[in-house]
Amino acid sequence: MPTIITARDLTKNYGDLVAVKGISFAIEEGECFGFLGPNGAGKTTTVKMIHCVSPMTSGTLLVDGMPASIDNRKVKALCGVIPQEINLDIDLTVRENLMVFARFFDIPRAEARTRIAELLKFVELEAKRDCKIDQLSTGMKRRLLVARALLNKPRFIIADEPTTGLDPQARHLIWQRLRQLKAQGSTLILTTQYMEEAQQLCDRIVVMFEGKILKEGLPSRLIEEEIGREVVEIRAPASEDERLIAELGSLSCGHERVGDTLFFYCRDGHGIILKLAELDLPNTVHRPATLEDVFLKLTGRSLIE
Amino acid sequence: MNLSYRIYHVFVRNLISYKRFVLTTFLVSLIEPLFYLITFGIGMGAYMGLFGGKPYLNFLVPGVLVSSVMMSSSFECMYGTFVKMVHERLYDSLIATPVSAEDAIAGDIAWGAFRGLISGTLMMLVAMIMGVLPASPYRVALVLALLILVGGLFASLGMIVTSYAPNFDFFNYYSELVITPMLFFSGVFFPLDRFPEWMKGFAQVLPLTHAVKISRAVFSGEFQPGLWLSILYVFALGTVAFMVAVRRMKKRLVK
Repeated sequence: MPTIITARDLTKNYGDLVAVKGISFAIEEGECFGFLGPNGAGKTTTVKMIHCVSPMTSGTLLVDGMPASIDNRKVKALCGVIPQEINLDIDLTVRENLMVFARFFDIPRAEARTRIAELLKFVELEAKRDCKIDQLSTGMKRRLLVARALLNKPRFIIADEPTTGLDPQARHLIWQRLRQLKAQGSTLILTTQYMEEAQQLCDRIVVMFEGKILKEGLPSRLIEEEIGREVVEIRAPASEDERLIAELGSLSCGHERVGDTLFFYCRDGHGIILKLAELDLPNTVHRPATLEDVFLKLTGRSLIE
Repeated sequence: MNLSYRIYHVFVRNLISYKRFVLTTFLVSLIEPLFYLITFGIGMGAYMGLFGGKPYLNFLVPGVLVSSVMMSSSFECMYGTFVKMVHERLYDSLIATPVSAEDAIAGDIAWGAFRGLISGTLMMLVAMIMGVLPASPYRVALVLALLILVGGLFASLGMIVTSYAPNFDFFNYYSELVITPMLFFSGVFFPLDRFPEWMKGFAQVLPLTHAVKISRAVFSGEFQPGLWLSILYVFALGTVAFMVAVRRMKKRLVK
């Protein structure tokens, strides 16, 4: 797969605040690339530089071979943006919103009309085409943002936390649509703080924290490398740590104390479970490892080996 | 400055959204200046005698016309733009398309000027019904051109204020400390000749003074020798204000 976006030592300062600290990454055509990180990690700043609405401080950033400098109209024409904040035009109807946007992309009127009809169908908003924006639910608004981002048949789509504040149904509908787009060959760039979302959608992720990329890889691979396959959580006071680690430490590949919980990470949890039964501890959870564990481990505390 | 024909697209966006407010804004644009024309023009005019051989109303109309443009254009680029920028986050979505920040701001300034033109045109219709007409029909076109120029100037100035505004209250300073005084110091309601010298000097700095002068000349057909200076002043200030407004607003929009 050819590379569509390459960043080298990309840095962004807002005054004294360094939001992005010299990160490098490459995004391939047709993949779903995720930026995973907590609030303030620099994800949104990074994608804003990609779609040319925020000037970089230093480094290089190439989109389809062109420098992604501020106001590069050619780059902006290639890109569809599903923004984090719902910034629909509340003075206009659903259809007018799309019509006006089509003009901004210089899409001829007749073509815009057919495209809008298709897209409203795609996001299941045909019935709402003449509604004002404040008559839509949050889920509908988010879907309209998806339709708006697709008007210009973008080479790549930036989805900046596209499901924030949605209920499970609405969230799954957005995910389905994004997967459908990927299946049709679109390149997707996703930022999210939801691990499930990253696991559901992304081929590759980078974990960002405090403006830096901590890890890069396939979600499943990251979990295996960083955590193992399974996690055993024991809710017990910290005073018990020494005893429990002495008993269970050899059966796991790592452990961590977070608040009221002692985590054991392991490839195979059976040994620990058997031991736990022996110890007769009441408050334990045994579950598969998730991206969330990777995330907490990378961004929160480091393993005590 | 990264300007393109997309200014027009931004203007059309405003036009489409405007159709829902058109009636209310027509009323608002009419009522205030109409109130000036009736109270000052007819009410006070009855005690004033003739001004340069014509009724007071003829003196008043050209001034009230440009000041209504000033109001509409300023407020459109203050309150209107602020709502779009801060509350609706409209600019964020605009500049993610091939529309540049400069296009978006220039489009809104053009829109502000257009809103001024609408107010001024409505006023002129009322004035015509009241019997105050420009000296000849082709002068109507000149009046309209002047309204656009004045609208562009005050839209740009309003936009500069918006670029600094942290909230709505901020606009009160500008409208109470600049717009309202300007209305009384620019010779809209009475000639400036009997002002003390320092006040005359002060009035010469105010852009509305010059707009009123030009407007009066277009209506009466009497072009005094100093008039081209007024035209130059309005043009120059308008151009500078436009450049500053676009630059300042871009700084606010693009971080």
